[in-house]
Amino acid sequence: MLQLTAVSAGYGGGTVLHGLDLDVPEGTVHAVVGHNGAGKTTLVHTVAGLLRPAAGTVRLAGADLTGRPPHRTARAGVGLVPQGRRVFASLTVAEHLLLADRGGSWTVSRVLELLPRLGERRGHRGSDLSGGEQQMLALARALLGSPRLLLLDEPTEGLAPQLARMVHELIASLAAEGLTVLLVSPSPALAAACADEVTVLTSGRATHHFTGSTVRADPSALHAALDLTAGGV
Amino acid sequence: MGFLDAQFVPALDGVAYGLLLFVVAAGLSLAFGTAGVLNLSHGTLYALGAYTGAECGDGTWGGFLLGLAAGTAVACLAGVLLSAATAPLARRGHLAQALLTFGLALAGGNLLVEFFGEDEMPVPVPGVLDSTVTLLGHRYPAYRLCFIGMALLLAAAGTWVLTRTRAGAAVRAAADDPQMLAATGISPRAVHTGVLAASGALAGAAGALGAPIIGPGPDTADTVLMLSLVIVVLGGLRSLWATLAAALLVGEVQTLGVSLMPDWAPYLLFAAMAAVLVLRSGLAAEPETAAHQDGAPSRPARALAAVRAQVTTGTAELTARLTGPLTSRLPARLRGPAGSAAPFLLLLAVLAALPSVLDAYSLSLVGYALALGLLAVSVTVVTGYAGLPTLGQAAPFAVGGYATALLAEEGWTTGPLLVLLAALAAALFSLVTGPAIIRARGTTVLMITLAVGELTVTAIDRMGWLTGGTDGLVGFPALRWLPGTPELLDERQLYGYALTVAAVALALTLLVLHSPAGKLLTGSRAAESRLRASGHPVGRYLLVAHLGAGALAGVGGSLMVTVQSYISPADVGFETAALALLAAVIGGTRSVLGALLGAGLIVFTRDWLAGAWPGHAPLLLGALFVAAVYLLPRGLAGLLPRPEPGRPPAPAKTAAPRPAERSAT
Repeated sequence: MLQLTAVSAGYGGGTVLHGLDLDVPEGTVHAVVGHNGAGKTTLVHTVAGLLRPAAGTVRLAGADLTGRPPHRTARAGVGLVPQGRRVFASLTVAEHLLLADRGGSWTVSRVLELLPRLGERRGHRGSDLSGGEQQMLALARALLGSPRLLLLDEPTEGLAPQLARMVHELIASLAAEGLTVLLVSPSPALAAACADEVTVLTSGRATHHFTGSTVRADPSALHAALDLTAGGV
Repeated sequence: MGFLDAQFVPALDGVAYGLLLFVVAAGLSLAFGTAGVLNLSHGTLYALGAYTGAECGDGTWGGFLLGLAAGTAVACLAGVLLSAATAPLARRGHLAQALLTFGLALAGGNLLVEFFGEDEMPVPVPGVLDSTVTLLGHRYPAYRLCFIGMALLLAAAGTWVLTRTRAGAAVRAAADDPQMLAATGISPRAVHTGVLAASGALAGAAGALGAPIIGPGPDTADTVLMLSLVIVVLGGLRSLWATLAAALLVGEVQTLGVSLMPDWAPYLLFAAMAAVLVLRSGLAAEPETAAHQDGAPSRPARALAAVRAQVTTGTAELTARLTGPLTSRLPARLRGPAGSAAPFLLLLAVLAALPSVLDAYSLSLVGYALALGLLAVSVTVVTGYAGLPTLGQAAPFAVGGYATALLAEEGWTTGPLLVLLAALAAALFSLVTGPAIIRARGTTVLMITLAVGELTVTAIDRMGWLTGGTDGLVGFPALRWLPGTPELLDERQLYGYALTVAAVALALTLLVLHSPAGKLLTGSRAAESRLRASGHPVGRYLLVAHLGAGALAGVGGSLMVTVQSYISPADVGFETAALALLAAVIGGTRSVLGALLGAGLIVFTRDWLAGAWPGHAPLLLGALFVAAVYLLPRGLAGLLPRPEPGRPPAPAKTAAPRPAERSAT
């Protein structure tokens, strides 16, 4: 579904991603883990069209997305749940749903069925929601574009453990419906919980690959790749 | 009952007036708050709608509706064009937009007068409405009553779109986070265009409907723009209800206020605006105040001493440099920082040679340009160096000018003494206004200083016993260099005097700006919080800069009076303030030389070039501003040799002048 070929990207004069290759087959969940500054968000922004890569190509289901502006990337089928949720502070939940609904397979009622909590908070402004609710709203906003690829940037950041578990379950259930997911996170736990494939990103380069089942069976190799044991975290 | 009865008609007029202004101001607020466009041509869009409505109106409903539709459509189209024109300026800050839209307003206003004539146009309303109705025992024009209804409908429809529709949600989302809006599949560019189209349509519709209330004429655009700005400032950008309340308040001040307190009403609007802004920025600036109170009481004194010490060091250093072996340094100096002496000496040489080539009239224009140039440099110090974009420097300019004229009337004719006194008076004036200004940042400063300027002009206008009112002051004795020396009578003598005074004032300004104290000022603009955190009392620096700039503007005002032997409120009003700001922006915002050249370019265009094409000065000026926005992104200073050639070129982003970018603290 998503193919990155030799993608280099960065901000200003500095390069963050160095010739990254990545292939996410349709219907799979691919996790990219790495430390702060490894280039995870840069990767997400590049795929979402928020950042134009300096080199390389981004393809979605064969179509070249490289350098497309973000709104056209979104319409091509890329849904973004950004780091920090970035819900619209002055819009109510209902207005978020109205704005994001593009009349595809995901309708407002289907989204509310998946995320019933949002239905109870319809009249509340984005800025008045809790972190977990904002995360659900950001997810709902992305789903209403009926994406073929869902980008999740640190979806469990700042959430209480049981909320984080709920996010894991949501991702799993979306994957079960056939949605392709690329998620990035500093936490190997999230990757272990729901990924089919795991890539470790170090200083803008893919340094290790694991399958999800390997990680679930024995996370120590992933931890070693992330140098977590040595770091004592 | 008697009071209520007597004030019924003005009060109802105030409602009609307020609702009209609400529709206009809502468009202005929409464009600024959600599309980030500070549209100084918004009043021109109103005038466009009003002229179109008046042109189509023929006393029938058909003509009225045609006028409404055409006026709305034309202004809507103008909004779309404005969106296309401002899109390339998105990263250049509000001053570039102000330059563009002020230029468009000047040119547009000139074209409207060209097409529709200099006189206010009569506006026919449909026959049925061209009558009066009796309301609680008062006869009231039926059209106004009907207008109140229509304006309410328009306001309700606009509110409904903004708060209940997907388009409205997109507009508000664009204001919150345009990047996420794009990632949601909606083009922020499309929203930008839509917002400016809607903003234009609102102004056009208000113009067509409101023409019988604020009729189309040469002053319409300015009046409407100024009142709408006041409303937007009073009401803030986030709430339509607050905008409505502000609009009704302004409407009542303009009608009921004038009826009740004719002497005070002219001050009320801008006083209210200044008060609101100062209170708001005062609240925001509390941490700074607290920090100051924590420190020892001697802190301000110590800071001033530090600044003084730095000025002294800087002066010594510069003197040493200037008196150094000039010949060996000359090549380096020529390529040196834009502030180095060579370009100024060259300009001085050219200016000194002018009397032998120019006729008396042109020479007096150059003299006037010098006065405006000092004002523009004063604006550059405040805007470019201290980072406080100002529309209020015409006020100390006025103080200096009137002080000179009044003292001359009293028989004080020693020029240099008058200049010093003018500078002192202007500095004192700036000491009074400074504390209200230096706490605010960004566009808030523009609005506070606008209010200061307008209040000053209103005061001058109304204190006729002292200032001669609208007629101004004329016929005071000519100046002399020293007591006993001959009077400066002909243009050449006056020009020589003006050039000498301006050169000395500029030399002093440059000495200060290039001293370490000047660097601190620049630092306070570029990295305020960092400078604050390292213990610098930024507020004091800004106040000192504001005082110095005020004194410089006062010198400019004094020179203007000397050169043209006349001063009136028209010389020191909003237009002068705006031209001085735009001269500074054209100059590059942070360049003393650029500001001087910008002022020269403006005077050349407005007074000399337009002499060949009478009646088109605004059009030429407007064209100059629009051209400058696109052709000189870094201002005239960008055409000068790049400063400090030894260093690698700075990245384009940081090199671009973005003085208005410091967000409100």
